[in-house]
Amino acid sequence: MARYLKPLLLLLVLTNMVACTQVQPWQRGILAKEEMAWKADPLESALNDHIFFSKEASSGGSSAAGGGCGCN
Amino acid sequence: MKAKTSHSLIALSTTALALPGIAIADAPPVESTLSYKISNYKEDDLDREESPFGDLGRYDIDVHQFQLITPIGRDFSLQIDANYEDLSGASPWFTTLGPDGSPVVNLSGASGIQDRRAELSIGSRYYLENGSIGGNIGYSEEDDYRATYGSLSGERHFNNDLTTVSIGMSYSADDIFPVDAEIFGRVVSENKSSTSAVINISQIINQVSTAQVALSVTQQAGFLTDPYKLRDTRPDEKTQIAVSTSYRRYIRSADAAWHVNYRYYDDDFGVSSQTIDMSWHQNLGRRFQLIPTLRYYSQSAANFFTNVDNFLRPETELQSSDYRLSAFGAVSGGLSFKANMGNWTTTLTAERYIANDKYSAHEVQLPSTALVKYFRVSAGVDFSF
Repeated sequence: MARYLKPLLLLLVLTNMVACTQVQPWQRGILAKEEMAWKADPLESALNDHIFFSKEASSGGSSAAGGGCGCN
Repeated sequence: MKAKTSHSLIALSTTALALPGIAIADAPPVESTLSYKISNYKEDDLDREESPFGDLGRYDIDVHQFQLITPIGRDFSLQIDANYEDLSGASPWFTTLGPDGSPVVNLSGASGIQDRRAELSIGSRYYLENGSIGGNIGYSEEDDYRATYGSLSGERHFNNDLTTVSIGMSYSADDIFPVDAEIFGRVVSENKSSTSAVINISQIINQVSTAQVALSVTQQAGFLTDPYKLRDTRPDEKTQIAVSTSYRRYIRSADAAWHVNYRYYDDDFGVSSQTIDMSWHQNLGRRFQLIPTLRYYSQSAANFFTNVDNFLRPETELQSSDYRLSAFGAVSGGLSFKANMGNWTTTLTAERYIANDKYSAHEVQLPSTALVKYFRVSAGVDFSF
C-alpha cells in the first residue's frame, strides 16, 4: 500500500507547486482571510495535535515537536 | 475623496502586512488577541467482552487552553500559552487470552487514574524586512511526568514574496517518575529526550490558493517504554520522519475556503502511516461560519507489537501490547460553528473519533483490543483589543 502512496504524495506536491502565477501584494486580499490561514483556529489545531499525538503512533509534520507528556 | 483613497491604501497595506508568511514585509500582529477554550474529551467505555474483569470506564478529560498574542513595539510579538488538563479514568494494563481464544484487555486499577497536567510556554518573534525569527520555552508538569522544552525557528520570503521557506528546531528533556512505583515494581525514575527539526516551504499559487510542503525529523532517546504496562519493553531510540503537504483554496461562488492536508509518516519502530484531513470553511454572511471536518488515518503495527502479552519471554525482549502500536485505521468527523461579534469571536465544536482495525489500509496481522472511540465538545472565545 505504502509503495503506491509515496508516488501519490510526490504527485500531490508537484501538482501543488506547478502553475503558480504572479500575485501582487494588492491582489492578496483573499489569501489574507482568516479562513485561508494554515491554522485557522490555533487552539483547535493545538488540541487536535495533542489528542492525536496521545492516541496514535504518528506525530510531526508541518512544525517542530513541542514538549512530551505522560499521555504517550 | 482624498481621504477615501488614503483609507483604501491603508486597508490594502494592512491586508498585505497581515498575510501570514506571504507579505512584502513581515510585521507583528496589528492587535492583541486573548483566547480561551474549554473542552471535554470522553472515551467510550469498553464492552465486557473486551475486558472481562474490573472497571470498563476509560479516560474523561477536561482541557482548558489560554493564549495571548500581542505586539511589542514595531518589530516584536509575544505569545503566551497556558494549558490545564484534569484527567480521570483507566487505561489498558495488560492483555491476555479470553475464554473464546481472542485477546482481552485488563484495565489499570479499580479506582482508575487521577491526574492533572499544567503547561506554560512563552515565545517571542522578531520581524525583519523579509522574514522573521523566533523562539519559545515551555514547561509541562504532571504527577508522574515533567517536560522542559524550547524551540527556535526562522522564515524568509523569496520569489517576489510568493515563496516562504521556514526552518525550525526543538528540544525537549522529559523526566518520568511513575506513581506507586514500589508497590507495582515499576521504574522509579527515568528520562528521555526528543530533538526535532522541520523545513517548510509555502507557495502562493494564485489569488485564491496556496500550498505548503514540509519535512520533519524527530529523534527520541531514553526511556520510551510505558512504565504502567505490566509487560512493555521498547527500544531506547526512535527516529520519526513525516512529510506533509497542505492546500488552501477559496471558492468565490460559495464564499468558502477548502482545506486539505496529507501526511506520510515512518519510524524505525516499524510504524508507517497516512493521514488525510479536510475541512470546509463556509461563511454565512459576515458574522458566522460553519466548518465541517473529516479525517482518515491508517497505520501499520510496530515490529514488536503483540496483542497478547507473553509473560514467559525475558523482560529484555522487545514487546508491547499498547493498542497505539497496533495496525488500525481511524475515522473522525467534526462540526464547528463560529460567530464573530466585533472584537469577540465565539466557537463551538463537536467531534467524534472511531478507531478500528477494520478501517486500516495496512495489513492487520494481530488485531488489537481497546482501540479508542471518543467524543469531544469544545467552546472557545477570542477577544481582540
